[in-house]
Amino acid sequence: MLLSMLLLTGCATTPQLSEATRQQVPERVLLEGVPFHAQRDYQCGPASLAMVLQAQGAKVDVDTLIPQVFLPGRQGSVQPEMLATVRRHGHIPFRIAPNFDSLLTEIAAGHPVVVMQNLSLPAWPVWHYAVAIGFDLDEQTLTLHSGMTAKRSVAFSRFDATWARSDRWAFVALPPGALPASLEAEPALQAIADFERVQGAAASLPAWEALVVRYSGSAMGYFALGNARHANGDSEGAEQAFAQAVAQEPEMAVAWLNLGLLHREQGETRQARQALQNAAALPGPWQQPALEALAAL
Amino acid sequence: MMNTLCRYLSPLLITALVLTSLPVAAAPATPGAGLITTQEALKAERSVEDRARIHEILARDDVQQQLVAQGVDPAEVKARVAALSDAEAARMADQLDQLPAGASVVGALFAVFVILLITDILGLTDVYPFTR
Repeated sequence: MLLSMLLLTGCATTPQLSEATRQQVPERVLLEGVPFHAQRDYQCGPASLAMVLQAQGAKVDVDTLIPQVFLPGRQGSVQPEMLATVRRHGHIPFRIAPNFDSLLTEIAAGHPVVVMQNLSLPAWPVWHYAVAIGFDLDEQTLTLHSGMTAKRSVAFSRFDATWARSDRWAFVALPPGALPASLEAEPALQAIADFERVQGAAASLPAWEALVVRYSGSAMGYFALGNARHANGDSEGAEQAFAQAVAQEPEMAVAWLNLGLLHREQGETRQARQALQNAAALPGPWQQPALEALAAL
Repeated sequence: MMNTLCRYLSPLLITALVLTSLPVAAAPATPGAGLITTQEALKAERSVEDRARIHEILARDDVQQQLVAQGVDPAEVKARVAALSDAEAARMADQLDQLPAGASVVGALFAVFVILLITDILGLTDVYPFTR
């Protein structure tokens, strides 16, 4: 029985770090600025959220978070609502890539990471949220604010065994304008877009500005920045951003379309026609709206 | 009486709902309308099908009802659902029962105490802190 369990779950092995990560992160890190909240009953979700949000300067306590994220029928908190609650408090939840390199890179960058673990075996799961706040490469340990214990030290191998059972689910919660250290442009962009849907263009503008500074080749990033600037009444800035988007990616029909619509709104018919013609020349879902806008010019 | 009423009302309500959500879901940018939003552009880029988009929109009503059934304060439900992304709302609607809920409950596990004790000592699990 036990043998079959071990075969099913695999053995606890120490996760390997890439050479690049080893070079980048310090030997040991401990984020002292992350407050600890011991969980009450089954409320490791709200407690973990309070820790990461307060670490970023948000004024929110566990008692406020419980009715916002705790699910009485499940006696726990589910992953989508953990992310959603971060949005409600004006911060952007970025899921990080499911590996040790991303985890340690974020901690080294000063970002506490909410991790989901199954502390037990898949057959009798004990799902748990904790906040990773430090590590020691020499001792091969991770430091967690977890459950009732602050700064709990866990071997990399044991932690990875429990983390792997949630498919290494983890996220950082950052104020708009800050970006994760480990993430690529595409998932970062989606995370900001999801935040913008909830909190609006004014709140997300700093995040888009930061995104195009970090990923200056992201045409979609410039497109999103153009939209956010336009929604905030900055037509000139929006025009520049859309122009950047099509400069990065001349085939990006939707950026040509918005550039044309913006020129039309400004009464610049000649430039509007030029941009809309470019959009209409590209096959895809934006061809039809571009043709209609041209016809109405 | 109630049944007959429902029989006539339901199709009406469904039509109204679908009609009001379709423009948001599918066809953006009629002439005179504003710019294409980033969210619309991302969905088009990832070629999310229209059917999936309508599903995502309807999902929010579904999730609201499920949250109330799970004991969430009805006054909180709207704000909780509003903070979900479309994809998250769809995931909640489809599989809320199967989603793992972080809670760290150990109580029900007493029957398998010995097995977990051994796996704890082997460093495969992290159920009993006293094993270290």
